Amino acid sequence: MAEGILINNVVKTYGSGDTAVHALRGVNMAVAKGEVVGLIGPSGSGKSTLLKCLGAVIEPTSGRMTIGDQCIYDNGWKVHDLRALRRDLIGFIFQAPYLIPFLDVTDNVALLPMLAGKPNALARKEARELLNALDVGHRAKAMPPQLSGGEQQRVAIARALVNRPPVILADEPTAPLDGQRALAVVTLLNDMARQFDTAIIIVTHDEKIIPTFKRLYNIRDGVTVEEAQVRAA
Amino acid sequence: MISLAGRDILHSWGKFVLTGVGLGLLIGVTLSMAGVYRGMVDDAQALLENSRADLWVVQKDTLGPYAEPSSLTEESERPIRAMRGVAQAAGVTYLTMQIAHSGKDVRVMVVGAEMAEPGLPGQPTHLIAGRQIVRGHYEAVADVKTGFAIGDRVKVRRNSYTIVGLTSRMVSSGGDPMLFLSLKDAQQAQFQKDSDAIIRQRARTAASPTLNPPGNPAVADAVNAVQSGNNNVNAVLVTITPGVAPDEVAESIRRWQRLTVYTRAQMEEILVEKLIATSARQIGMFLVILAIVSAAIVAFIIYTMTLGKIREIAVLKLIGTRNSTISWMILQQALGLGLIGFIVGKIAASLWAPFFPKYVLLLSADSIRGFFAVMAICTLASVLAIQAALKVDPAEAIGG
Repeated sequence: MAEGILINNVVKTYGSGDTAVHALRGVNMAVAKGEVVGLIGPSGSGKSTLLKCLGAVIEPTSGRMTIGDQCIYDNGWKVHDLRALRRDLIGFIFQAPYLIPFLDVTDNVALLPMLAGKPNALARKEARELLNALDVGHRAKAMPPQLSGGEQQRVAIARALVNRPPVILADEPTAPLDGQRALAVVTLLNDMARQFDTAIIIVTHDEKIIPTFKRLYNIRDGVTVEEAQVRAA
Repeated sequence: MISLAGRDILHSWGKFVLTGVGLGLLIGVTLSMAGVYRGMVDDAQALLENSRADLWVVQKDTLGPYAEPSSLTEESERPIRAMRGVAQAAGVTYLTMQIAHSGKDVRVMVVGAEMAEPGLPGQPTHLIAGRQIVRGHYEAVADVKTGFAIGDRVKVRRNSYTIVGLTSRMVSSGGDPMLFLSLKDAQQAQFQKDSDAIIRQRARTAASPTLNPPGNPAVADAVNAVQSGNNNVNAVLVTITPGVAPDEVAESIRRWQRLTVYTRAQMEEILVEKLIATSARQIGMFLVILAIVSAAIVAFIIYTMTLGKIREIAVLKLIGTRNSTISWMILQQALGLGLIGFIVGKIAASLWAPFFPKYVLLLSADSIRGFFAVMAICTLASVLAIQAALKVDPAEAIGG
């Protein structure tokens, strides 16, 4: 299966000498295109640090990271414009939807293609198509505070997908949702991963959704361990 | 690309407009302060313009008659009138005083003007109602700002005068409206002593063997006549024959009459740069303080608004928004606030200007300068907020 994300021996150390904190001690992960994997671990284990490294928000200390065919880090960034890298190759879904409160639903989603230089009309057309696919097309003109929690999270998923990135990083996307809605979001992400051939990593503590992952990585003290397959493909 | 600033403003327009109105009132005060200064300069220029003089002849080595007391005899006028290049010359007196009218005090500048022939310098211009003074005594022409009406009787010192005409924009350099009397009446009002003082003066003369020599009572009578009468003026206003250089005539008067003479340019300098210089500096200080306060308010508002959007800014940065886009959003909001503030301020200043006791002149050029100053201040004020936004770490959106 073609790799969507490949992480080899990524290390992240904050500080140096006696005060050095080793957040990641050699993480290895592989996520195929169209696959959704879970990343679990106790607080302070390094989950968020790994997401930030892969999301090109902080620089690892060493290691290698590849998205699709493109090596983005090999003991140093291989990409000059990290902002463009985040915009074009990575979609983000946060614990809370964090929609821009002064933009309506359509423009919240269309903002990314607009930032990438697409004309407003085309960006809005793509956004509306995606919103329809995610079953929130009828709220296209609404402002974020007018949406329910589940609707807001669907809009956030649409925003993460709109530029068709090969990778989506989801940081506890079901945290604010009840059990049924949480499962619905994970199902949706699985569908989207298959439909758009996207590799998705979901960081979670949510016991309800953990059994839904085909593969699960557990991170402890900055080292990942691949858990046994939870459910047959 | 959509305008993020525009959307944010539309989303929270109530807060934005209210803040803009508050800022606008402050800008309105600033524009009014500039208008007060312009009004003072305009009053000073109106005073010179309305006197219709080319030269002001005053007591030697004084800055009279507006900036310093000046006194010269009425007879000084005749030799001046006879000089080459002089078209007209007329004595004039100025006296600022309070006049009781309809139960309240009105501060006026009493002007004594020669009314012997029409068009002499110093006579009231810009007559908007009634007529000029035609009788030798007890008639007056007042500026509308005094609140007097034609037919009113006003008391100046001992005598009452009937208002026969009304003028507009006839004010002193301090903005006090003018009340024109005939020169004789004005001299009496300015120089005549009260009865008790005259009695005491006469007793002193009678007691003096020098002023009241025995056997020659005519000497004391003559002395008393000289002491009780007064034919002094504060200045002689001169108009120049067309084609003659004012400086040339001024120099000639200085040389032959041994008096101080000011041309229009010199008098304007005295009024604008000397007489109201302190007031101008005072207003200038207010303008600087108000500009600083406005900048601080805009900076505080924009900074607070930006801090309220830290999470959204972190998300915007994380999803690939350029720093320049975020900076431009904040700058546009600051400029938008300044624009609303300026429009509100300009309207407010125009609305309340007529209610100021002194003339407030709002010049378009000042408004344009004010607009660019507001925009510059808003740009500067947004720097803090932009710095705060640029420091936002996109990682904050991820948490952990």
